[in-house]
Amino acid sequence: MTNTSREARDAILQSIQANLAASEGIVHTDHTIVPYRGELLRAGASLSRTEKFRERLESVGGYCYIVKSEDEAARALSAIIGELQSKDAAKRIALSDAPLVSSLARGIAAEEIDVCPLPADLFNYDVGMTMAQAAIAETGTLVLAAERERHRLVSLLPPVHIAIVYSRDIVDTIGDALTQLRGDATGMSRAITFITGPSRTADIELTLTVGVHGPKELHVIVIEAASEAS
Amino acid sequence: MDHLTSETFDANARAALNDAQLRGALKNATSLFGKRRLAAAHSVSNWEDLRSEARRIKDETLLHLDKYLEQFTVNAEEAGAQIHWARDAAEANAIVKEIAQHKQARLVVKSKSMTTEEIHLNSALEAVGVEALETDLGEYIIQLAGETPSHIIAPAIHKTRFQIADLFVEKLGIEPTDDVVMLTATARRVLRQKFAAADIGISGVNFGVAEAGTILILENEGNIRLTTSLPKVHIAVMGIEKVIPRFADLEVFLKLLPRSGTGQHLTSYQSLITGTKRAADGEGPDELHIILLDNGRSKMLAHPTTRQSLACIRCGACLNACPVYQQIGGHAYGSVYPGPIGAVITPQLIGLKKASQLPYASSLCGACREVCPVKIDIPELLLHLRAEITEGSEVRDERSEPVKRKTGERLAFKMWAAVMTRPRLYEFSARVGHLLQGFIKRGNRIGKVGGLIGRLAPPLAAWTGTRDLRPIEAKSFRQQWRSAERS
Amino acid sequence: MMDRDHQSAIGKRQSPIKVGLFVTCLVDQLWSSIGTSTVEVLRRAGCEVEFDERQTCCGQPAFNTGYRREARQVAERFIELCEGSDAEFIVSPSGSCTAMVHHYESLFPDDGAWRARAHAVAGRTFELSSFLVRELQLTDVGARFTGKVTWHDACHGLRELGVRNEPRTLIQHVRDTEFVELENSDACCGFGGTFSVKYPEISAAILEQKIEAIERAGVDAVVSGDASCLMQIGGRLSRIGSKARVMHLAELLASQ
Repeated sequence: MTNTSREARDAILQSIQANLAASEGIVHTDHTIVPYRGELLRAGASLSRTEKFRERLESVGGYCYIVKSEDEAARALSAIIGELQSKDAAKRIALSDAPLVSSLARGIAAEEIDVCPLPADLFNYDVGMTMAQAAIAETGTLVLAAERERHRLVSLLPPVHIAIVYSRDIVDTIGDALTQLRGDATGMSRAITFITGPSRTADIELTLTVGVHGPKELHVIVIEAASEAS
Repeated sequence: MDHLTSETFDANARAALNDAQLRGALKNATSLFGKRRLAAAHSVSNWEDLRSEARRIKDETLLHLDKYLEQFTVNAEEAGAQIHWARDAAEANAIVKEIAQHKQARLVVKSKSMTTEEIHLNSALEAVGVEALETDLGEYIIQLAGETPSHIIAPAIHKTRFQIADLFVEKLGIEPTDDVVMLTATARRVLRQKFAAADIGISGVNFGVAEAGTILILENEGNIRLTTSLPKVHIAVMGIEKVIPRFADLEVFLKLLPRSGTGQHLTSYQSLITGTKRAADGEGPDELHIILLDNGRSKMLAHPTTRQSLACIRCGACLNACPVYQQIGGHAYGSVYPGPIGAVITPQLIGLKKASQLPYASSLCGACREVCPVKIDIPELLLHLRAEITEGSEVRDERSEPVKRKTGERLAFKMWAAVMTRPRLYEFSARVGHLLQGFIKRGNRIGKVGGLIGRLAPPLAAWTGTRDLRPIEAKSFRQQWRSAERS
Repeated sequence: MMDRDHQSAIGKRQSPIKVGLFVTCLVDQLWSSIGTSTVEVLRRAGCEVEFDERQTCCGQPAFNTGYRREARQVAERFIELCEGSDAEFIVSPSGSCTAMVHHYESLFPDDGAWRARAHAVAGRTFELSSFLVRELQLTDVGARFTGKVTWHDACHGLRELGVRNEPRTLIQHVRDTEFVELENSDACCGFGGTFSVKYPEISAAILEQKIEAIERAGVDAVVSGDASCLMQIGGRLSRIGSKARVMHLAELLASQ
């Protein structure tokens, strides 16, 4: 920290303390804020965690495929890529460094399939494939932890993002996800990204446009291992 | 371009009212945002509890702000971030310029940050030859247009797609189109190149977690992810009120902010950044600089009423709910922060004198308080500032220069109080009024009052410009009561 | 905000309830029929109504414009008057004036004694519809009015006192009245006290939205609980020659 910054720090902390002290003697009458009286949520049908995740993801324009094994996942992946290729939208595919991703991608044919291309090159890829370390059911959110996998840019630059996640890694709430991240014994990842659906904007006349800076399409393959209850 | 100032609010508002296109845009935007916010609030079963909890967390934090800022600093630095402190805009800009010069930066990409607008960061950078490019679509649009944002969440809400199309044709040389998808794709294409070339990425901060040193930034477009992961250096400008105690506290704010701002359950992306990457060859910037900005915030702690200004999480819900904002839009306020929250923090940031009109530009309806996710009692704050403006601020410093005393009004209220504390005088005055109104009454109402009388009594002219006025009755209620009692 | 020391099952009482009428300066001088209607309705509800002629104003105009010293002077008088009355309830046909009384505490940050007195008086002060429905548990006051009406939620009554269902319940029990909900019934009318004359163009622009909704609703009358809103809305309806008129809730409930 420079001298000015240290000086500023002391001054700011002092200002905070002085102003708080000044406020102590002041009587403040609390006014009850009348709560809005409207209809609140009626509890909906209870869905399984995975189903809830799917419902929420689809509600924001993401695509969700629930499969029962890695083999099925590979097939689902081929189908997604095939569909994209029919629109000429999957010529160059970028993979994260997750072993599962490479293994699932083995069955795919494309002009280029590369693991973690350089950032400058990543701009020209059509599809990025990664895993997600966790997911949140109540919002349909993927949790990507940058130190577990090299996927920060692969999940961001190409216009299509395909993510694989195990259903056992889906938690119910944002709070659960935060607790899990915080409690990571190997140290909380320095860069964590929550992804909920494709990129979007409504800045022009409030018209929703999908695919601004981030991906335009998000496909999530959820693998439910046979032994678990979801 | 000359930007409007708060000092000319009155004139600004009138100009805005005459702008039919602006009013149409505002009507659509605010009512849509309002509907979506309401639906989103209804999507949880405990909306009121969430609000109370969020406010409780903010109150707890503000009462120990110094402690939490220090804790934040320790943890962020431990993770490799460099923390800088800035007392005001000048210091903050100096820090950014120094970093830019040190890195020999030519191009900086920016994501939407009200705080950086507040300190006029872009012009400070441009003055030293650094191009600062806005990457949020709305901010990019207004940057091209040389304007300031007119809304906290949707900066270009006042522009039609035709205006945006014309702008793109003029500045970017594209083929004429008013297709929103095409316009967005153009911006994406132009900006993508810049992300790759930028030396520094600058962002704001939505929340800074003290116990972890983490900063959280929310968005929908993806430009924040790009801004904070591609360039080698990331500078985050954070108002000191953005700190919250615990990581777990993020949950309640993540439930409230997107719903209040845009009606979404969650925005497309949240970036949780703690210091710098552990591995040198990891993805992401090599350097993270966090600038903690005061710029008038610590002073707001001096009174329980003004302290709540710092609870604001910049969702924009109050703007959409405000009948005044709905009619005049953001530019009229002449401030980075418009609408209800703007009307209370602008005078505190730039001084009561310069912004003395703003606290009066409200009907005190309370719709803002109703929608505020952190239950800021904005009407209470407005009334507090009005009292400071008329009776003088308790907090005296170089910024709160005394506001010009409105002697006519002061005298009027002194007389009013003298009359209202003397029932017989009150009655007498009313009877005199009843007599005098004969000059302006037509039939059973008072129509437009102009001419000499209008100039002598401006409020009368102001009211009757568009509304008839009920006259004082021949027999007041109390006179009728008395007659009834006698018989 | 309010201490509930009182029993709400007042209907079970034998002796009539003593109510002190706080008529408000606006009603007193500009709209006496609201006052006489309020008295009528309260009597029909079984109350004994007193009116202390020494009352003047609640102090809102000064308080809202930032003149707290002047507002305090008026508040002190009001508090003294109420303390001198043995009426159990003080009832007002104005949400904003009632809310002002409930704000009196904040006028005495340096005086604990006055604060306590202000608090006590606030606890006895009620807006009319809220008094009828919540305190007296009365929903039918025996009114009759032929016509189509709608309700404008006055801001202070709605957001400071929580008055929303009570007036609607009372209106729905008025015979021969057709009630329709107004679009954005809870949108401000644009009065805001001195705001209406400090920023008349903005006030008029806000008002216009309300007027358009009223015209679309095609009603005979717009009803509200605050004379100030009625002045604002009525002033414009009159200027444009609308067939709709304004009516205070008390006037509607007193109709027979």
